[in-house]
Amino acid sequence: MSDHDHDHKPAPVVDEVSDFEILEVAVRELAIEKGLFTMDDHRTWTEYIHTLGPTPAARLVAKAWLDPEYKKLCIEDGVTASREVDIDWVTSPPTQFGTPSDYCNLRVLADTPTLKHVVVCTLCSCYPRPILGQSPEWYRTPNYRRRLVRWPRQVLSEFGLQVPEDVEVRVADSNQKTRYIVMPNRPEGTDGWTEDQLTEIVTRDCLIGVAVPKPGVTSNVKLPVMKAANPVPH
Amino acid sequence: MSKPVYDRTHHAKMATGVGDPQCFSGKAGDAKFKVGDRVRVRDLPDIFYTRTMTYARGLEGTVVELVYESPPAENEAWDNTEVSEWFYSVVFSQHDIWPAYSVGYPNDTLETEFSERWLEAV
Repeated sequence: MSDHDHDHKPAPVVDEVSDFEILEVAVRELAIEKGLFTMDDHRTWTEYIHTLGPTPAARLVAKAWLDPEYKKLCIEDGVTASREVDIDWVTSPPTQFGTPSDYCNLRVLADTPTLKHVVVCTLCSCYPRPILGQSPEWYRTPNYRRRLVRWPRQVLSEFGLQVPEDVEVRVADSNQKTRYIVMPNRPEGTDGWTEDQLTEIVTRDCLIGVAVPKPGVTSNVKLPVMKAANPVPH
Repeated sequence: MSKPVYDRTHHAKMATGVGDPQCFSGKAGDAKFKVGDRVRVRDLPDIFYTRTMTYARGLEGTVVELVYESPPAENEAWDNTEVSEWFYSVVFSQHDIWPAYSVGYPNDTLETEFSERWLEAV
């Protein structure tokens, strides 16, 4: 028996657990205890949600660029249009009533040469997960949520997007049961492109509305990370 | 006296295979407003839970879409799904919302949703 056992405790998995993480664990354990769902359900849902990504939404936009009839359907009924890209909002998730954290109402906001949409959820972080996957971290920050509604043009310019003065910027605040994706305008220089080629340039950022597609650009905006001048010691 | 038993999964059962808000379709009756109507967001008192933002209260805007029928969030938060209402997507001018909105962009707008109880005709 060694005297130094206390030195060999396993290191914690994470350095710090936030209040919200503690709250989530508490609520989850209560729900399981009450029989609302089981531990297995939770695991199945969590694993399912991590299989989702933005590709189906990108394909939806590419299809709509190529097919005006399909574009009309997207605008009228996003949930039905999603089936064309193999997303069934209602029955394909393991719960059979949508993803556990999402409602089944999708609106596709089509940009025009005089109208640019951008999506936010000021109340929390509503996001069209079934067709876009998990939201990026910045989308959930109070910084983005509270500033985008007041200073949309300034926030968009931080993403590198300068919207011309004669173009209307419309912020969609996802505060109830509707989830939004943005259908940007098809960029110049893509004549004769196939659906696959077009899908590649419709990035997640384009679908949230903080970027516009450009030929040759297939990745999201890299936001600069500024080191704190006077960091808070932990 | 025995403890009452609540089925806390009834909402999920209702939505299974149908979806939410689809499961409330047809339950709200006639819609009070139509696309193009000018409406004002009421400043109702709310207790503990609401999804009507402070910034929108008292503002005038235009209905652009009747989106779906659903119990209002203020009831649904307490598992009360008895009464459904129409939900409306309303567009506001940014200059009406924020007095200090950047000058020079008169066309900028914001779109968001309200249940019928939160709106009154202008």
